[in-house]
Amino acid sequence: MIARKVMLLGEIGVGKSSIVQRLVFDRFDMNYKPTIGVDVYRYEVPETATRPRMALIVWDTDGNFGEHIFRHVYMREASAAVIVGDVTRPRTLETLGNLADGFREALPGRTVSLVVNKLDLLQAEDEMVLPDRLQRPGLAFHRTSARTGQNIHNVFAETADAIDRRRL
Amino acid sequence: MPSTGDASDRGRQLAAAPLLTAVRQLAEREVFGLVWAGPDLIVDSTFGALARFVAIGEPLTDSVYALIGMEDDIRALKDFAGQAIELPDITLVMPESRRPRATLTISWSHDAAAFLLLIARTESRSELEIELTAQMRARFMAESELATKSRALERANADLESYASVISHDLQSPMRVLRYTLDELELAAGPASPEAQEKVGRLRELSQRMTKMLSALLDYASVTRMSDAIELVDTMALVHTVTSSIYVPPGIRLTMEGNWPRVRTMPAPLDLVLRNLIDNAVKHHDRATGRVTVSAVPENNAIVLTVADDGPGISPEHRAAVFLPFRTLGTSDTGSGQGMGLALVRRSVESIGGSITLESGAPGERGTTFTVRWPVAPVSGSDR
Repeated sequence: MIARKVMLLGEIGVGKSSIVQRLVFDRFDMNYKPTIGVDVYRYEVPETATRPRMALIVWDTDGNFGEHIFRHVYMREASAAVIVGDVTRPRTLETLGNLADGFREALPGRTVSLVVNKLDLLQAEDEMVLPDRLQRPGLAFHRTSARTGQNIHNVFAETADAIDRRRL
Repeated sequence: MPSTGDASDRGRQLAAAPLLTAVRQLAEREVFGLVWAGPDLIVDSTFGALARFVAIGEPLTDSVYALIGMEDDIRALKDFAGQAIELPDITLVMPESRRPRATLTISWSHDAAAFLLLIARTESRSELEIELTAQMRARFMAESELATKSRALERANADLESYASVISHDLQSPMRVLRYTLDELELAAGPASPEAQEKVGRLRELSQRMTKMLSALLDYASVTRMSDAIELVDTMALVHTVTSSIYVPPGIRLTMEGNWPRVRTMPAPLDLVLRNLIDNAVKHHDRATGRVTVSAVPENNAIVLTVADDGPGISPEHRAAVFLPFRTLGTSDTGSGQGMGLALVRRSVESIGGSITLESGAPGERGTTFTVRWPVAPVSGSDR
């Protein structure tokens, strides 16, 4: 079974650790524990009709790195990035765009998935306020909730598909 | 410490046995662990509790999956003596447990003809980092929650304004028709029907009252829209303008005390607040003689205004209700009329982030004091 490295990036408190905890262990912890350094998880994505089973080694990074992460040894040989923003904090959605640009510059040709998390906290009458750069035509992003599990597995299944397609 | 060599040795050289004992103890206390892997990166052996999770005879990356993707880089170390790949602060999260946070350092050992992976537990300097990060996150979440609640409040205010405006406008039209119809009815009844004339007169009074209530409702809904331009306001001049426009019966003494500074604020809502409070105090006085005192005390970024009277007081069961729309205490109210004066005052005060409180004595005691904390913007040097 092939294994590929996926970086989980985003500002502190956007829900990176909650996303991977939901992905790997199907659990959600309300108590916040900041990530120091990097937590490394192993998750097996089930095979599909078009792609074999794949192990994703998910690097859940400390949000304090910011864009300095791209000069860090952690980034070595990463095949993909899943970049997370918090729908209740518009500034983190701006950062999401910056991190996507930084990753593409540091590791050209790798796949990037954009995730807007904490959809469960959005009130029904609230509109999701996206920065302009995330409203470009053709730019896709995932709406997730680590608390409810909404769309979490889809994000990583599609990441595995993209890695497989590009032979990364 | 037992040593070898004579006293002329430049440095101390530790005997092998004590050294190995110390190394073994450190390894068992999970200070560090060692893993040897062959050129094919299959694990040969491990040493120390920290390395116990690594499976012998299996690929190194099966256990230490943080190294996945770096196999070629690792193999290349054979050609670069003395070089190493270091991954700091790595925590491997496994289904059954989290490994201790450690720095992984891998290098090629020519002596052992193997790759040597050192797993060194990271110091717990991170306790402070954890606390700092947690506090930062708490601050971000509080800011986010505040922003969410502000948006909800803005929506609620907008809904209220819209609702009240629609109602009052939509109802004013049929009220006008009602008044015209009453005029026609009065003409049709003629002077020969005094009873009919009386009833028409009563209906006209009621329709006028209804029209005033609708107008007051519209004023209440739109009070936050007054809060636009901040100007330099001479509060002494403002309160003089207010008091000179209010009818004060001869026996009521209206005085001003305290320090009335020049402040940066919105003049229209401040005028409304002072006018309603002072007018209320004067009109609700139940005696031929009495006093109403208006005072101001500047505070940091605010001015505290009080309007105190020696009137009949407000009983405890009415103190909350006086700030509600269309509530009176039995006498006609001020401002827009129909019991809206204090409701307008509270809405104006709260719309700019201020507060208003009411103090009155025990039942039977006289006197009431309204205290308003009115936020103001800093005054610049050129304003003074």
